[in-house]
Amino acid sequence: MIEVTDLTKTFGKNQVLKGITTTIERGEVVALIGPSGSGKSTFLRCINLLDTPTSGIITIDGTPITDPKADVARTRQRIGMVFQHFHLFPHMTVMDNITFAPTQVKGMSMEEARVKATELLARVGLSDKADSYPSRLSGGQKQRVAIARSLAMEPDIMLFDEPTSALDPEMVKEVLNVIRGLAHSGMTMLIVTHEMKFAREAADTIYFLDDGKLVERTKPEQFFTKPQSERASRFLEQVL
Amino acid sequence: MNRKRLNIIYLSLITMMVLFLALGGVFQLGTAGSHTVNAESAAVPSSGQKKKLVMGTSPDYPPYESVDAKNNGEIIGLDIDIAKYITSKLGYELEISSMDFNGLVTALQSGRVDFVMSGMSATDERRQSVDFSNTYYAARNTIVSKKSAVLETEESLSGKRVGTQLGSTQDLYAETIQGAVLKKLNKIPDLINELNSNRIDAAIVEDAVAIEMTAANPNLTMSFLPAESAENGYAIAFPKKSTIVNDFNGVLAEMSESGQLDAIVQKWFASEKDESSDKLLNIDFSILKGYIPYILKGVYVTLLFTLVSALFGLVWGSILSLFKISGIKLLEWFATAYTSVFRGTPLLLQLILIYYATPQILNYDISALMAAGLAFGLNSAAYLSETIRGGIMSVDKGQREASIALGIPYRKMMVRIIFPQALRNILPALVNECIALLKESSLVSVIGVTDLMRRGDFVRSLTFRSFEVLLFIAAIYYVLVLILTSFARMLERRLRRSD
Repeated sequence: MIEVTDLTKTFGKNQVLKGITTTIERGEVVALIGPSGSGKSTFLRCINLLDTPTSGIITIDGTPITDPKADVARTRQRIGMVFQHFHLFPHMTVMDNITFAPTQVKGMSMEEARVKATELLARVGLSDKADSYPSRLSGGQKQRVAIARSLAMEPDIMLFDEPTSALDPEMVKEVLNVIRGLAHSGMTMLIVTHEMKFAREAADTIYFLDDGKLVERTKPEQFFTKPQSERASRFLEQVL
Repeated sequence: MNRKRLNIIYLSLITMMVLFLALGGVFQLGTAGSHTVNAESAAVPSSGQKKKLVMGTSPDYPPYESVDAKNNGEIIGLDIDIAKYITSKLGYELEISSMDFNGLVTALQSGRVDFVMSGMSATDERRQSVDFSNTYYAARNTIVSKKSAVLETEESLSGKRVGTQLGSTQDLYAETIQGAVLKKLNKIPDLINELNSNRIDAAIVEDAVAIEMTAANPNLTMSFLPAESAENGYAIAFPKKSTIVNDFNGVLAEMSESGQLDAIVQKWFASEKDESSDKLLNIDFSILKGYIPYILKGVYVTLLFTLVSALFGLVWGSILSLFKISGIKLLEWFATAYTSVFRGTPLLLQLILIYYATPQILNYDISALMAAGLAFGLNSAAYLSETIRGGIMSVDKGQREASIALGIPYRKMMVRIIFPQALRNILPALVNECIALLKESSLVSVIGVTDLMRRGDFVRSLTFRSFEVLLFIAAIYYVLVLILTSFARMLERRLRRSD
């Protein structure tokens, strides 16, 4: 369970998050939606401390990770993250990309890591690419490898930061299908996305952010049929 | 963030320690500058140990001292025979340390050597800094000029351009010639080249050297000048207040009485030049015959030296670049100041400073190869730190974020994720640096390391011919660079296999 209390984040003079308070249940799938610059990505990056919150408290299963004494490395190991631009390690094969963190961080044996990686590659439909370098893959394939790489650390929480925004349209579906397959398997997922149809189908809860605030937090059906705020309905009018 | 900073320091310390251990190992293998003559007592340790005396000499002045390049590369000559005789009489073990003539007095003062025999005359100027024994040989000054424009007397040199070897007796004598325009050069072969190029009209050298110069270069001729006073003859130099001067004088006196001294002189002056070629061709590569294995051994020294400095430079440069991006003010300031100083002063000067100052300041007798490796490594690290910093900055920020998100610790991230990508980006710059190092390594000859260049100098002084040797050495350097370049191309292809 993730509890966020009055989270703010300021870059220089620009306050990007203006006090967000919410609770995300274990296994819940949350889609974060909102206009660009509304703070969705920053919110996500605060959860695994890629951005350090300016103020506020985040606790994960009761452990306050924003506490200066908290074990940051341990927290991050429990949280996987998938980036818009994949960030695969270009000098390693697909297999090495996936096995690197489990063997180097968790101390897993190479054999075990390889077995696990092979499994994960099958799950994202890329069994034949184990020995390829990232430069040989399409965008959609890269993103699926990036997902497998995160999953290899067996995280409790997965963060997706606009996972399909950098993809050509024909590749969006293969990535969304993989993410959809992960939902409701017990993993808590936070997904920043512009894919409204996907958010509607896959998410348990929609977070609508605007100007650094969590404006709406509702079930998808309700959000897409009758949004409560005027800002949300204006946003939906523009994107749908 | 604290953890990250600690990690940088930790990483740096570990790498430096490993590096110094590794360097120590290499340098113990590679002390090519000096060798012990008395092999038995070196092999037998503690029991009946003889005291050792280190003699400094510049073995490019046959017949007094030269490198036996056709055989095992040992240093031989008239001075060496006298030194061996005296030290064995006095019950010392003799070790010969080869260095540049201009560094001999400094070596005495810094305690690097116990005495110097190198065809060195006891001038008043030198007496200010060192003590001398009685003279053991007095040479005649001799004018060498071209057969096409012979100069025979001191008077005829007025208004002419006259070359001498810097720091030699003849150099001092030439100062007294009325109206002569002096040009001081480092080596005897340089004098020959200048004569042949018509940049000087005559050279003043001592008789034994003149005989060999003219024998090897048939277009040159010599004229002996009246004998100088014996005051300025060759003598053995010691550090000021050395206690062994009297012992040496005693043996010298005894040698001259018994005729031993004359016998040694006769041996070295008589056994000269029966095979000199009469060819008038300007270039004759056959003179290299017999010297090639000796020169080629220098390739190993040059390569070893380049490798050590390049590795040291790369590791230390990487650490400096980490300092520069650490975000810790003190480290950043240090790295920036370091780069500024080492880029802002000549490498040659750094090399000489490290070699001669270390024994006096730290009381540690630094070997020539280690001093050279240190100087070149420190210098090249200053340049590389900037290159590597640029390389690290050029790696996509996302790589760092992805590593952090996976929980990869800072050190592993740097070593396994960031550096390999940075390295790929800066490889061409690194290759340039290596090639520069390989060629710059020829500077080490000034502190007596017997690298390619130094060996070339020895052979030049033995053959009294320059072009053949210089061209041969140039060809070797060029081939080495070619090999290095193609090796780098292979490496680059390997690194690019992920594209």
